[in-house]
This record gives sequence, C-alpha cells and structure tokens, in this order.
Amino acid sequence: MVVNHSITRQSSRPTPHHPNGPWEVGPRGLVDPAGRRYARGPRGPAASPFSALRIKPWPRGPTYPATFLPFLSPIAVTLFALAAFPSLASVPMASIAGSALSFARPVKAINVNSLSFSPTTKGNAFLRLQPVPMRFAVSCAAKKDTVDKVCGIVKKQLALAEDAEVSGASKFSELGADSLDTVEIVMGLEEEFGISVEESSAQTIATVEDAAELIDKLVSEKSS
Amino acid sequence: MAAAAAAPARSEVLSLFRSFLRTARQFSDYNICEYTRRRAADAFRENRALADAPAAAAAFAEGKKQLEVAKRQEVVYSLYAPKSKSIMEMKLQ
Repeated sequence: MVVNHSITRQSSRPTPHHPNGPWEVGPRGLVDPAGRRYARGPRGPAASPFSALRIKPWPRGPTYPATFLPFLSPIAVTLFALAAFPSLASVPMASIAGSALSFARPVKAINVNSLSFSPTTKGNAFLRLQPVPMRFAVSCAAKKDTVDKVCGIVKKQLALAEDAEVSGASKFSELGADSLDTVEIVMGLEEEFGISVEESSAQTIATVEDAAELIDKLVSEKSS
Repeated sequence: MAAAAAAPARSEVLSLFRSFLRTARQFSDYNICEYTRRRAADAFRENRALADAPAAAAAFAEGKKQLEVAKRQEVVYSLYAPKSKSIMEMKLQ
C-alpha cells in the first residue's frame, strides 16, 4: 500500500464531497482514501487498445504528411481497391489518374479515413476534389458578387428555376413578383447581408441592380 | 367602431407587412418565426384584391391588432428561449 506523505495540504480529513476522505493526486496517478493507486503508469491499466498493443495509431511528428505517400501511391490504391471491392473494376481509371495529382500535397485526414477504414461502403469515389469557383470581380455600379447573391435570393423567393434569366437589369415585376414579394425579397437581403434597409429606400427598389447598389452602399457605410 | 377609416395607402400596407416580417425575425424560436412569416404573407396575399374601402380598412385594422399580438408574444417567447438552435437554422455543413 503506497500512501504519499509528501502532500502538504490538509486533505486527509473527510469533507462533504468525499465522506471517506478525498482522493489525492500522487506522482503516479490518483490515490484513493484507502491508499490504493489508480494509475496509468507502467503496469497501470491500458487506456486504449492501441496503448495495450503498443501500436501508434497514427504516425506523428515532422514526417506526418510524407508517411502517407508510399501507402497511397496510385498503384497501391488501385490494387487495394480492386482487392477490396472487385465490382469496381469498371470504375474509369481516369478518376484515379486525376486524383493522383492530389498526392503531391498532404492529404486531409478525412479522405484517408474514407479510403482505408470504411471498406463497407461500396463504390467510393476515392477522393472528391471540390472545385473552387473562380469569381472575377468586375467593378461596375454594383459588385458582381452582390448581384449574384441578390439573384440567388430572388430566385429562391420567387421559386424560379436555377437556370432562369435573372440579371442586373431584370425588374422584379417582370419576374412575376408583386409588391409583397418585393418586401419579402428585401427582408431576405437584409438578413443575408446583415444590413437594415429604410422604409423609403425600400419602396424605391425596382430592379436587381437597384437592390445590389443599395446593399453595397449600406454595407460600406456599416463597415466604415 | 363608429366610422370606418379611409382605405390604407399602398405604402402603409407594405410597411405593416415589413413590420410583421421584422417582428418575426426577432423570435428566438424558429417555428414561431416561420409561422409568423407564413401567416402574414398568406393573410396579406388573401386580402390583396379587396376592392371596397371599408373592407380594406377593416383588414388593415385587424392586421395592426395582430401585429401588437405578435410583438407581445415576442417578448413572452424571449423569456423562454430554447437553449439550442433548431436544426433548420443550422447551415448545411
């Protein structure tokens, strides 16, 4: 029985929280009032299956990204996939060739997990590369970004199809919106951009361009 | 109500609608917020084509009373705000 006598605080008396006396923190773990040691030290209970088996679950340290490279070479990936789910033989190899470009830089842990630790999901696209849309900001009366967002909100409010023609010059009335719809659209824009539109200015909005200009003005006023 | 007021102007009606939507936005409970918006839009759309002045004025007065109700309820609901956001309010990850 190991009792740590080097603790100087007066902790051996029973307190309301610990009727038998408090647990103390010794150098090798917790010590209960009876002096038994509960530790994760050498001979202590294993914290996880990995520590019991003495296997590091994930490589750590400066070589962290590089350790994936040999494991994830395209050939190894192909063989692994074909061995694991033979029905994928028909998957076009172009996707693998395309995804080979991504191994040049460190791969995000999420994608790796989906490859090696979930063999039950069939037909995995190995790595989905999300294309980032490139936006070219054209400086005109209202910013193109703003106009695009306004168009999106208008389409959603009026339940138009995704490919409907909504541009800067389209009037709300032409798109089939009555005045109530216009009010709702303006409220939606207020929420989206975090601005507050005055009554009088809201009455004058007639086209998408008007709305975008007003939004830009209010956003710049707010941030300045 | 002795004398019916004149029909409300278009801008008054729209500003009443706007106040409804603003009040709806301040509700902490997503469900009540959505209900207020929907109900206001439905009611205004239904009474959109009221031709004669007294009917329109009566509808406008009714709308104003309902706005007062909504504002009072907003105060009451804010005292009992839900602890976590509704799943509908969370952005898609």
